[in-house]
Amino acid sequence: MKNNQRILTFLGASLLLGSCQTDLVEKDIKKGNADFTRYVAVGNSLTAGYADGGLSRKGQMHSYPVMLAEQFKLAGGGSFTVPYMNEGNGNDGSNNPARALGYVLPCNSNIPTLSPVYPLGGATAFNNVSAQGPYNLVGVPGARVIDANLNLYSFLNPFFSRFCLTPGVSTMISEAKRINATFFTLWLGSNDALLYATGGAVPPANAFSPSLTDTTTFRLAMAQVVDSLTANGAKGAIANVPDVTSVPYFTTVPWNGVALTQGKADTLNAAYIGLGLSHIFWKAGANGFVISDSTAPGNVRQATANDHILLTTPSDSLKCGQWGVSPAKPLADRYVLDQNEKVIIQQHISVYNSTIASIAMAKGLALVDMNTYLKSFKSGIIYNGVSMNAAFITGGAFSLDGVHPNGRGYALIANEFIKSINAKFGSTIPYVDVTAHPGIIFP
Amino acid sequence: MKKTLSTWMLAGVLIPGSVLAGGFKIALQGQKQSGMGHTGVGFAQDAATVYFNPAGMGFARSGISAGVNLLMPSTSFLDANTNQITNSTSQVFTPLSLYGNVALSKKVNFGLGVYTPYGSGIMYPTDWTGRYILNRIDLKVVHIQPTLSVKLGEKFAIGAGFIYSQGHVGLERDLPLSSNQGNTTASVKLDGRASGIGFNAGAYLKASERFSIGVTYHSKVNMEVEKGDATFNNVPMALSSSFPEANYFSSELPLPSELAAGFSYKLTSRLTAAVDFNLTFWKSFDTLSFDYQTNSAALADTKSPRLYENASAIRLGFQYLASEGLQLRAGAFYDQTPVKDGYVAPELPDNNKVGLTLGASARLHDKLVLDLSLLYEDVPERNQTNKETGLAGTFQTRVFSPGVGITYLFGKSNKRKNY
Repeated sequence: MKNNQRILTFLGASLLLGSCQTDLVEKDIKKGNADFTRYVAVGNSLTAGYADGGLSRKGQMHSYPVMLAEQFKLAGGGSFTVPYMNEGNGNDGSNNPARALGYVLPCNSNIPTLSPVYPLGGATAFNNVSAQGPYNLVGVPGARVIDANLNLYSFLNPFFSRFCLTPGVSTMISEAKRINATFFTLWLGSNDALLYATGGAVPPANAFSPSLTDTTTFRLAMAQVVDSLTANGAKGAIANVPDVTSVPYFTTVPWNGVALTQGKADTLNAAYIGLGLSHIFWKAGANGFVISDSTAPGNVRQATANDHILLTTPSDSLKCGQWGVSPAKPLADRYVLDQNEKVIIQQHISVYNSTIASIAMAKGLALVDMNTYLKSFKSGIIYNGVSMNAAFITGGAFSLDGVHPNGRGYALIANEFIKSINAKFGSTIPYVDVTAHPGIIFP
Repeated sequence: MKKTLSTWMLAGVLIPGSVLAGGFKIALQGQKQSGMGHTGVGFAQDAATVYFNPAGMGFARSGISAGVNLLMPSTSFLDANTNQITNSTSQVFTPLSLYGNVALSKKVNFGLGVYTPYGSGIMYPTDWTGRYILNRIDLKVVHIQPTLSVKLGEKFAIGAGFIYSQGHVGLERDLPLSSNQGNTTASVKLDGRASGIGFNAGAYLKASERFSIGVTYHSKVNMEVEKGDATFNNVPMALSSSFPEANYFSSELPLPSELAAGFSYKLTSRLTAAVDFNLTFWKSFDTLSFDYQTNSAALADTKSPRLYENASAIRLGFQYLASEGLQLRAGAFYDQTPVKDGYVAPELPDNNKVGLTLGASARLHDKLVLDLSLLYEDVPERNQTNKETGLAGTFQTRVFSPGVGITYLFGKSNKRKNY
């Protein structure tokens, strides 16, 4: 009996031993040879957290600089001040709210379909937060590289005038320098090509219209920006310009959305031949939209797989309004990025990116190759069971404007920054949890 | 638009599947055997030989053995991306076993076993990073096994049992579909009952008073889930037609076959050693399919590759007769994982395992024995990236399981014999 007690005591003691718990420990986080004490982010709408066609407080909270600042805090980073908008639907710069998914009744059906719409409640008025600066997040929707050192720009851009110290005097760079940063991220240059591309590459109407920045001007402006940011010895990361065809804005509306029967094709062919436009030929099945092209006979031709019909093209007009079908209604230049325009834009982006790469090399910056990374979205990525790709809405990574990412997309972008920063500076900043940020919100 | 939305969600509804894998197959089928590293193919000690080797029944005392374990697995995951640790929610499982063994004649024994070859699960915190892969999984399988053994001569016997198996599988995961209707989380829950049949068969040779050897084959048991409930919760209104609220699924869960061989050797009059070798034919678990009764463009039937590999285990145990009424046991095992790199998943964070066991039996009464066992199992750190889901990091699991049982002996007491 005595023995039995001994055994029971032994088993009881074993029960109490803590050895049944796991003992995994987090890895040590190293800052490497970078100093994240004071971090400033400089850029355009992508840096501001613009999404769904507007800048809102929610978008700002899920911007990649806010995510990076959180991760930098794990390696000695300090506070990060954001020029937050007030709560609400946000503002696109023209007092329209950011969009949300809602139901619309298409022209050719009585079943409502999901589509981006303006939510109830209207836009959030811009709040002036100049007095609360300086800000660590200098992200100005619409800004090009050539705008970064322009003091007049702060007058023209309501996104910037609401938080800069002195509109008309402050520049984006002077704002950034108020932080006296030890580390910066810079992602500028997309708008030097993209604003022009998203407008269908129409010839600029005046000096303020979107245009394609000349490559030499781009190089000089970018060099000046980087010189300013590194003048105090700060280290940093610079991201390059994504290709236009990476974003759903250019790839969602099919180029060949005209479905015809043989009978309808015959009728259209007769009409076009009657107008002397015999180079336009219709067949049974899918046909390319007729688009305006000043280089084509009669200034019109049919779209090919190398032309991009823009997301902003009114879809009811395409479906029911005979747009791109009727000889009287070729798709206007502002709705089409045609092959020639695309090639010119891509050539410019390629030169911009060589410039960015050589500046990064010369200044010892981490180069974040967003161009290559965003191209990889097309084939799809999977993060902890969540599949994402570059498709509009269904892809889950881009917001409802088809150009800017949503929260999950911005988290993936933050991780690309971290990857390059760790590689360049020998740091081991942990990555952002992509699943912690919102994707598309459904009604 | 709806159509394309649906295609996107397809990937969202792949259901994890290796619910049956090594980590869920529990080596707790008898208290005495568990104390000796779960050996018993060549060492027929009590009625639990119905499971370990049905041919051993004629060499064990007639009686009843019953037991229960408190099975307490704990798993941690270190996310390679975020450097954050997730600990599984602690749960206690209680696998049971009950065996009876009666000598019908000098040559023929009849036995009955009711035991739990699978009876575990895992649950993660609801906000963990892998919630779109898996939040919770439970698997419980109970085998009911009537068994006969026949002695062919004094030293050799064969035996076989028929297995009727009843099981339940339940799993939950979140769906990456956000709604503007407040803070709800879309999720899917699968709940199914399964049943199947199989057999086990063995041969046992008691070569001498000191040395016994045996071999056992446990057949594959194909568990068929015929009409499990597939419940989708909090799916945003706009997508609800793609995920009907009440749906059913059918599936097949193949419990793999296993070949076991073992022997025992009486080293001294008080000390006995036993060794078992198990080979489990996991290769049969190649693909896991789920067939939904109502399909939509978003909810297609799924086939997930598992590509398991056959795995073996080696087990060693000792039993020491400390005094007239007391036996002490200790054992160890090494159990190979069937899961290849790239296929380790939250449902089964498996690796090659090492186990240490202790046990004791104390005679409480002429015919009544108290059996105790203790299992400590270490599933060491395994660092990999899952090919299907992209989840990257290190899993570690430790299992702790105390067990208690009783053995009641039929017939005249005989203190010196095995109990």
